[in-house]
Amino acid sequence: MRYMLQRAGWFLLTLWAAITLNFLLPRMMPGSPADAALAKLAQNGPVTEQTRKAVEAQLGVPDGNLLQQYLDYLHQVVTLDFGVSYAFYPEPVTGLVLQALPYTLILVGLVTIAAFVIGTLLGVLAAWKRGTWMDALPAVGGSFLGTFPYFWTALLLLFFLGYVGHLFPTFGAYSATTVPGFSWAFIEDALYHAALPATTMLVTSLGGWIIGMRNAMITTLGEDHVTFAEANGIPGRTVALKYAARNAILPNLTGFGMALGGVVGGSVLVEQVFGYPGIGFLLFNAVTGQDYPLMQAIFLMITVSVLVANLLVDIMYGILDPRTRR
Amino acid sequence: MSTATHRTTPSTPGAEEPLLRVQDLSVVYEPVGAPATRAVREVSFEVGRGEFVGLVGESGSGKSTLGFALTALSKPPARIESGSILFGDVDIASMSAEELRTQRQGGFAMVLQAGMNTLSPVRTIRKHFHDIFAAHRHVAPGDRDDRAAELVGRVSLGPEVLDRYPFELSGGMRQRVTIALALSLEPQLMVFDEPTTALDVLVQHAVMDTIRELQAQEGFTAILISHDLGVVLESAHRVMVMHDGRVVEDAPSEDILRRPQHEYTRMLLSHFADPRAEHVALPGLEAPVAGTATSAPSASSSPAAGGGLELRVQGVSKSFGAPRRGAQPVLAVDDVSFTLAAGGATALVGQSGSGKSTLAKLITGVEKPTAGTIHVGDAEVGSLRRKELRDLRRSVQMVFQDPYAALNPLSTVEYTLTRALTNLTDLRGNALRKRLHELLETVGLTPAAQFAAKLPHQLSGGQRQRVVIARALAADPQVIIADEPVSMLDVSLRAGVLALLRDLRERTGMSLLYITHDLLSARLITDDILVLHDGRVVESGPTAEVMRHPQDEYTIRLLDAIPDPARVHGARPDRGDLP
Repeated sequence: MRYMLQRAGWFLLTLWAAITLNFLLPRMMPGSPADAALAKLAQNGPVTEQTRKAVEAQLGVPDGNLLQQYLDYLHQVVTLDFGVSYAFYPEPVTGLVLQALPYTLILVGLVTIAAFVIGTLLGVLAAWKRGTWMDALPAVGGSFLGTFPYFWTALLLLFFLGYVGHLFPTFGAYSATTVPGFSWAFIEDALYHAALPATTMLVTSLGGWIIGMRNAMITTLGEDHVTFAEANGIPGRTVALKYAARNAILPNLTGFGMALGGVVGGSVLVEQVFGYPGIGFLLFNAVTGQDYPLMQAIFLMITVSVLVANLLVDIMYGILDPRTRR
Repeated sequence: MSTATHRTTPSTPGAEEPLLRVQDLSVVYEPVGAPATRAVREVSFEVGRGEFVGLVGESGSGKSTLGFALTALSKPPARIESGSILFGDVDIASMSAEELRTQRQGGFAMVLQAGMNTLSPVRTIRKHFHDIFAAHRHVAPGDRDDRAAELVGRVSLGPEVLDRYPFELSGGMRQRVTIALALSLEPQLMVFDEPTTALDVLVQHAVMDTIRELQAQEGFTAILISHDLGVVLESAHRVMVMHDGRVVEDAPSEDILRRPQHEYTRMLLSHFADPRAEHVALPGLEAPVAGTATSAPSASSSPAAGGGLELRVQGVSKSFGAPRRGAQPVLAVDDVSFTLAAGGATALVGQSGSGKSTLAKLITGVEKPTAGTIHVGDAEVGSLRRKELRDLRRSVQMVFQDPYAALNPLSTVEYTLTRALTNLTDLRGNALRKRLHELLETVGLTPAAQFAAKLPHQLSGGQRQRVVIARALAADPQVIIADEPVSMLDVSLRAGVLALLRDLRERTGMSLLYITHDLLSARLITDDILVLHDGRVVESGPTAEVMRHPQDEYTIRLLDAIPDPARVHGARPDRGDLP
């Protein structure tokens, strides 16, 4: 319990630091968003002082001293009000993010979890059957596929299974004819559209988990408590899972936590290649459109979710490893 | 006195069919990409029911490999090359994995070397018991908790340990749990592989007592594997001595002690001595005789350049902050005072946690004392600034316990020593080279040029420790602090390193503070001794005097914990009988 409270305390402290940094960093950059917008307008002719004022008012360029701005900002963060997007003007940033978030969470989130679970299990199997084909196939295959760049695998799949084979859709999260909602037809359609991006990410990230788990597991298998369990005639499956894997998985959890935290950021390249309307796609558009409010909101969200994922991993550690509870 | 009268076993060994028959067993190590080595060579022996057999040898003798083969735990790269292991009437060496697994209940059990790792760190002790019961189903589910409590009771632990995690138990408790777990298999044969090696002296003694009592009560057959001839002779009825993969001698313990036949056995025995005796000697090393305790050697021989410094510790205490809020701060060193004369040798003995290593850190200025002063020569360690501490390190050098960890595995001996010389002296170029070779010759690593080019893994443990000592000598120190310098070494190498330390002291006149838990080595190379217990000095005086006539109860316990085969096998052997 003490451990959990301690972790939660640290979490709140880092959260505050992250939010504050997110506030300070843009203010330390030279120029203002209004300047950028005005520069765009200036291409079409001279800009008057009134236009400048109007643009500033429209964009909500902050006024007041730094402390006042900071308090306003905190208020905005708490009420999830991040202003209006420039690139998708006049859509509010929060609405855009909320629209994209489910797609990313489901696609990238599920794939990350699946990759971790499948990769870890294959890694356990590979280490347990060390030296057999069950070791060689996943270890060599996984690392071979893992060396492929994301986008290249994506392009290959898109080309062969999409354009040539016509087996899967090549663009978007659902067909133009389906209406988003909680209907079976929509879910089916969405899954169909998610198949190629999901396969891409699964194939490229699986290898890392397999090899990480296999190596940790081989080290653990050499430890005395595993030998002792075998000496006591405990069945192989129990030794592999309850003794070796249970201990070997601990270091991998940290990696899993980081991967989970990154889920919210989406997968920029994959979403871009497949035209998948998730956070990564949104972020790409925000960057190319110099959409500061949108960028800031997404960055903040990524930071917070990395922190939350780390907190979750800490709590999991506390449950799985009694030594950390001291 | 006949051997039989000492046997406490229920059965007379050899009277019936033997439990274990090993015939021409060879075990080979076949690592990938390295030449194969035969660790066990054509070993044959029998062990009768209820017998307690010791298996002794130094590191690399193949004794653990043999133990693993006997309990069918050999794993690649180890492979049973030929021969058979008949357990009752079945051959373990040619059994399938599942047959083997079921044999383990009511068959053979193994207790591995004590350490952090014999129990899974994330499982409670109760779960460990339940796993075994579930694997063999020899205890009904309703009786399992009671049985587990009974088993831990058998090794003198309370049932509350069942709900603890391994890291919440001390080393001795963990090893008792390990024994209880092995016992839960109700084995006919128990193999103990160095069961007490990593434990403290007093705990070691208590755990060995438990093993002996259990064996007598339960009547299982026991094989005790150890590098410590004393422990084995004290416990086993019969001793097999292993050397280079072969059993070179196999005889009743008393015969091994009194009439050793093989020269290797004799060599091992010659390194075994009782520090309480009037005359104590190891090959090439004789302790000062009681009563005539020598003072600093400078009295007789003129010390070489440098000489020693006096080390004065006055009323020193060190407390560490409480580990948790609400807990008491830890008083690691409690009001310790002593003086190590220039050129003298003082031993600091005590079990782990007694504060001896903390004291070493205080003397070298790594930690600052909470109270009291420490003088090295005229300098007061506690008040030194960073630069002055550097000078202090030049005159006070440490030799560490683990020669395997104290050297960078990627650096040659030459590089290691060159670094020390450039850091601590002004020698450069040829002068440095000359000094480096001189150092290697001083510590007995000749020809120096050949050893300079070697990497640590190409050296034996004793040779590595000599390199560590050479490194400590680089700056011509006036005080050497040696922290358990021989505890990781094989017995046959210990005497050499100890003799080196003693000779160095005599030759250069440096002072030696020798930290150890091993009373025999303290007796051999020091003049004075301090016995530390819970941070306090409980007894001090001339080493020989304290060992011969200990006054404090703790010192007596430490001395009693030394294995004493004579206690079991009649009168103490007369050293004159031994070569």
